[in-house]
Amino acid sequence: MMETELTEDIDQPLRDRLKAHPGPALLWGAGLCLLLLLEGPTYLDGLLGAIGFGLGLLPGAPGAEAFASASAFFSELPHLLSRELIPNRGYYDGSAWQGTFLGLEPKYAWLIRFLLVYVYVAVLLGWLWYGYVTFRRHYRAADWTPTDDVIDRLRSHYWGLFGLAVVVFFITMAAFAPVVGPTTAEENIEGPYSHDMQYYDADTETVETITIGEANLGSASRGSGDSNVGIWSYDDFGRFHPVGTLVSGKDLFTFLAFGARVSLFIGLGSMAIAGFIATTLALVTAYYKGVTDLIVVLTSDSVQAMPALLLVILATVVFKNHWIAELYNGAMLFILLFALIRWPGLWRAVRGPALQVGEQEWVDAAKSYGQRPTVIMRKHMAPYILGYLLVYASLTLGGVIISVSALSFLGLGITAPTPEWGRAINIGQSYIASQSWHISLIPGILITLVVTGFNALSDGIRDAIDPQSEGAEGGATGAAAGGGGG
Amino acid sequence: MSHTEDGEPLLAVDNLRTVFHSDREEIRAVDGVSFEIARGETLGIVGESGSGKSVTARSIMGLVESPGEIREESSIRLDGRELTALSEKEYRSVRGGDIAMVFQDPLSSLNPVYTVGNQIIEALELHRDMEGAEAKSEAIELLRAVGIPDAARRVDEFPHEFSGGMRQRAVIAMALACDPDLLICDEPTTALDVTIQAQILDLLQEIQTERDIGIMFITHDMGVIAEVADRVAVMYAGEVVEQAPVKELFANPHHPYTQGLLQSIPGRNPSTDRLPTIEGDVPTPHESASFCRFVSRCPKGFDECERVHPAHVEVGDSADHTAACLLYPEDMPTDDTVTQHEANADQTGAEADEALSADDWPAAKRNAGEDTSPVGSDNSDARADGGHGHSAGDTGGHSEGGDPDE
Repeated sequence: MMETELTEDIDQPLRDRLKAHPGPALLWGAGLCLLLLLEGPTYLDGLLGAIGFGLGLLPGAPGAEAFASASAFFSELPHLLSRELIPNRGYYDGSAWQGTFLGLEPKYAWLIRFLLVYVYVAVLLGWLWYGYVTFRRHYRAADWTPTDDVIDRLRSHYWGLFGLAVVVFFITMAAFAPVVGPTTAEENIEGPYSHDMQYYDADTETVETITIGEANLGSASRGSGDSNVGIWSYDDFGRFHPVGTLVSGKDLFTFLAFGARVSLFIGLGSMAIAGFIATTLALVTAYYKGVTDLIVVLTSDSVQAMPALLLVILATVVFKNHWIAELYNGAMLFILLFALIRWPGLWRAVRGPALQVGEQEWVDAAKSYGQRPTVIMRKHMAPYILGYLLVYASLTLGGVIISVSALSFLGLGITAPTPEWGRAINIGQSYIASQSWHISLIPGILITLVVTGFNALSDGIRDAIDPQSEGAEGGATGAAAGGGGG
Repeated sequence: MSHTEDGEPLLAVDNLRTVFHSDREEIRAVDGVSFEIARGETLGIVGESGSGKSVTARSIMGLVESPGEIREESSIRLDGRELTALSEKEYRSVRGGDIAMVFQDPLSSLNPVYTVGNQIIEALELHRDMEGAEAKSEAIELLRAVGIPDAARRVDEFPHEFSGGMRQRAVIAMALACDPDLLICDEPTTALDVTIQAQILDLLQEIQTERDIGIMFITHDMGVIAEVADRVAVMYAGEVVEQAPVKELFANPHHPYTQGLLQSIPGRNPSTDRLPTIEGDVPTPHESASFCRFVSRCPKGFDECERVHPAHVEVGDSADHTAACLLYPEDMPTDDTVTQHEANADQTGAEADEALSADDWPAAKRNAGEDTSPVGSDNSDARADGGHGHSAGDTGGHSEGGDPDE
């Protein structure tokens, strides 16, 4: 009797366990809905925009327009994190700030919006974590799984947590780029002469209207004389610049926020493709060995033997007028190029673990009961190398971000007007010894920080998935311990 | 239990040659091995590490991987069906469906990230078209059948929550999931302690009786062999050097290697100060055997052993006891036996091995044996104590039952 009861208890699917004890799940679900509703239009906007962008890749796709307009419709709807709700732009009419949030100074209005974005992201992530804990406590059948240990180890790995924080900061900046910047890329960077702004002229004591392009001319950071808008300062038109302006007078922070999008897009995109190629080849070569292995070794050696930077430069020239180079100002081309160049490194990194796990007896056991090779690779081998792949992919991702910046710095990367961090460094290069040092320095520090963050995160993940890597060396059973944790 | 006289045996391995190609040479891991297993019978395969036991098992499973290769002249027949000719896809349905395998290390033959039930269900889904709740209840049934208490709860536990013996039971349950005809056990008890070992051996015997399956049991532990096997094949350097019913082998070992193996069991030699050992290591066979591979370690070796490859000849009292040694047939003078073995070796390898082919073997009519009297008197060199205490293996604990019964 006891036994049957237990069986039923464990056999219940998640749905039934939820039904039996809905309290915590409902609470969590309600909280999540609230959080999502606050920013609902942004997500829909992003989703539809992404679909529209995807359709746009296909030449002459009619649907793209519809998605773009739908996305525009949703971006108009009110939501919490919007420039409309907390505006930071206005003018000082001699007694008070007009048009800003609650009449605050633009810098405080901007700071509130900026912080609110990060608080929102922190709460959202915290709530997701709470959801996982709730699931673990109330709804999961097993009271322990190997993943628990991995998570616990990551939680006490401070260097890894630092990395995670930096990466989250960076991703948030990229994701909420239109909101965190004091202005938008569209107005300030891409079409400054098609947008107007108002400012208060102290001499005539009147509110004047001027195109943003003209205003930018007056806010340029050129190093010499009074032509500099540095960190945490206002320009002559009452616009606040958290990290100063570029040589062209455009807002550097906005430039960086949108630049983060490009870097992240290229980094994640190329790593996703390279990681997929690397995993597939690692599993296939570890399973079949022999000639298959040899062919992949030769191919990867050949790819690695090519001078990567020269190859990329060559490709950017060859594809100059090709439609693929026009997607996102060349970002798509870089994704493909870096995926092509970086997969051998990833493949080499996961090949060892793949070979190790391929030698495990459970793989033999699966073969011995007639399992199909594809299922063996996916079910019995892949889980053990994905951890390693994650580690090396996040390391390589930092490298890709640096490479793209380096290319942009050389004037070969992402072309104007799409912002890219490396180009900002390039632009500010000649002003580095002047008072306009911020143009090069800030993006430089950010690149260093982000790459360090990704490396720290990969360090943390590695230590988390491989309990033996802490202190004592990994040992031969590293692969087995990798996903197993026990 | 002896082979069935009528019809095909369950498994007939004939002249199996599995070679591994390395950069410089070819390693003949299994070199002309022939044996049969009938339904309900357990064939024990013993030998030192490196003698080719596991490669034999993997060859039968079709799991020899590059750079390994099963030579064309080899034949593995299961229920009369030639396995070496099967495509990889066809072989997959044989694996699990007809032949299942239990591996040495019960910890690593279960994937630690999946529950035990999950892995049994995986096998059930593949071969018995079961899914969901049906597969799960069948998995619980299997776990119960291999003696896991509280199976309904344990089916959802992870391998690390099982003890060593439990894990091996679970692995056996996994192997049984597809209802195989032949179970290959590759040292299934080596990683277990003695009491658990005895339980697992009992379990295997129970399963065999219940399901009438053939078992090929690989081990290097003579004590375990005495316990489980009906017949024994002794392997050395890729060859079977002696094959006999288990009682006969322990009572009356003929090949010097078998004698050496039995001598080095502690329990069998209580009076000696130092346990006799076989000096040296198993050589790695590189070329076709034109000599006896055991000669470098053989206490009875003579000059001819260096140039004549011995064929299997009938020895001893039992009808199906053969040994490959130039000393036999024992009622002939050594010069004559050498001539006879030489004549055998002059034939091509494949033909020579016909002597042991599936068809001839049960009838115990071999080229070598035909012109000699099959009734051999005891070799004067055979160990006097060979007939006693044959079940006292070095593991001791489980061998209390005495004679390996049939």
